[in-house]
Amino acid sequence: MNQQPESNQTHFGYKTVDKDSKASMVAGVFHSVAAKYDLMNDLLSMGIHRIWKRFTIDCSGVRAGHRVLDLAGGTGDLAAKFSRLVGEKGQVVLADINDSMLKVGRDKLRDKGIVGNVEYVQANAECLPFPDNHFDLITIAFGLRNVTDKDKALASMFRVLKPGGRLLVLEFSKPEIEALSKAYDLYSFHVLPKVGQLVVGDAESYQYLAESIRMHPDQDTLKGMMETVGFEQVTYHNLTGGIVALHRGFKF
Amino acid sequence: MPAPQLLAGALELALNKVLSLDNASQQRLAPLCGKRMRVKLKELPWPLTFVFSSQIDLLMDDEQPVDCAMELSLTHLQEMQDPANISALIQDKKLSLNGDMHTAQSFAALLKELDIDWEEQLSRYTGDVFAHQSVQLAKSLHQRAKGHLQQLGQIIKDGALHEKQLAAHPLAVEDFSRDVNKLRADTARFEARLSQLEQLKASR
Ligand SMILES: C[S@@+](CC[C@H](N)C(=O)[O-])C[C@H]1O[C@@H](n2cnc3c(N)ncnc32)[C@H](O)[C@@H]1O
Repeated sequence: MNQQPESNQTHFGYKTVDKDSKASMVAGVFHSVAAKYDLMNDLLSMGIHRIWKRFTIDCSGVRAGHRVLDLAGGTGDLAAKFSRLVGEKGQVVLADINDSMLKVGRDKLRDKGIVGNVEYVQANAECLPFPDNHFDLITIAFGLRNVTDKDKALASMFRVLKPGGRLLVLEFSKPEIEALSKAYDLYSFHVLPKVGQLVVGDAESYQYLAESIRMHPDQDTLKGMMETVGFEQVTYHNLTGGIVALHRGFKF
Repeated sequence: MPAPQLLAGALELALNKVLSLDNASQQRLAPLCGKRMRVKLKELPWPLTFVFSSQIDLLMDDEQPVDCAMELSLTHLQEMQDPANISALIQDKKLSLNGDMHTAQSFAALLKELDIDWEEQLSRYTGDVFAHQSVQLAKSLHQRAKGHLQQLGQIIKDGALHEKQLAAHPLAVEDFSRDVNKLRADTARFEARLSQLEQLKASR
């Protein structure tokens, strides 16, 4: 179930679509939710996503002067914090494939007075427009799930990471307990699209969200994928019973 | 379970809130800008790392180097907030300090000016921490869940009043209400289970 089909087709949630059209369909999803994205995040995860993100930052080892890539960074939650943590001599690149999300992120960070050490780059995770060995840290939070060719994206991240640098992948995963898994399914397939309909007027995007979560590789599969492209000392940490997992890998 | 992140998030919010109420806060933060200070309180299982910029970020990170690290117990935190007391506390072995003394002094001065009742703030997290941890976390998540349900109801009500596009089909609302009710019932069951667990713990 976690394998991509061999042909030029891929998953869009449960639908199988042409690889070429997945990117634009994903774009459609995020265009349609961009403006209310943060509100929805809070509602749908009941605010817990903030704790997942804090945990990610605590595991990042980020220091003053570091160069950080927040990939699929969307509305910039992580980037805002990194900007303060790396300080004036450091640099944060907020990269996203979608210019609506980037724009919301840029406006939000500007409103918070965060300027100077943050750059905004529209980029596809599969072919990152940065030199080799460039970043001390790469984070991708709730983004890998949406990428068409995940292996290609992971390899691209490996390439732009400095030796000694680390990658953190925060993503929905497989709940550890069957009962939790069931309750969670109920929530994501029944409640989620309806809230989406009510608040954003778009049930389909949230139906996609629920489906894409289910189709995403489980903890050990993702760990293996990271190792295959070259990451070392790959470990993962389940959060909230495995609803979400944080994977960490190093390049040496 | 990331209970420490819950604590860090709450403290960070509180600290920055207090700072934002103070007109001179940027001035007070200036000598600390770019510095990192790690505080290990004897009553807490995790060290807190304060990172200073135009605000304060709190990390639960034990790994990275800092400008200054101090270790003390909560009961001496109040005394420490007078920079003049620092040497005496060190001599009495009530405070151990590693690193840049200036950072420690500016930090103490900042804490004093912020005037936060730390014992009160931290009381939920100290003491028999490990025994309480899961119950505390579950409780606060449960509170959050309840709060969000109310908030959600309000947002939907406001939204429906002010924004035409948000007015949902009556059937969808009915359906949604049913889900919310179910969630509420689940929450109530969870609550009952929780108090059962608490009783169990208390009786042991
Ligand atoms: C669920 S959002 C996560 C945003 C943010 N990281 C957070 O945690 O709140 C997923 C983001 O991934 C972006 N995305 C999807 N496919 C991508 C790709 N191939 N390359 C880069 N970003 C992509 C979307 O535009 C969207 O902003």
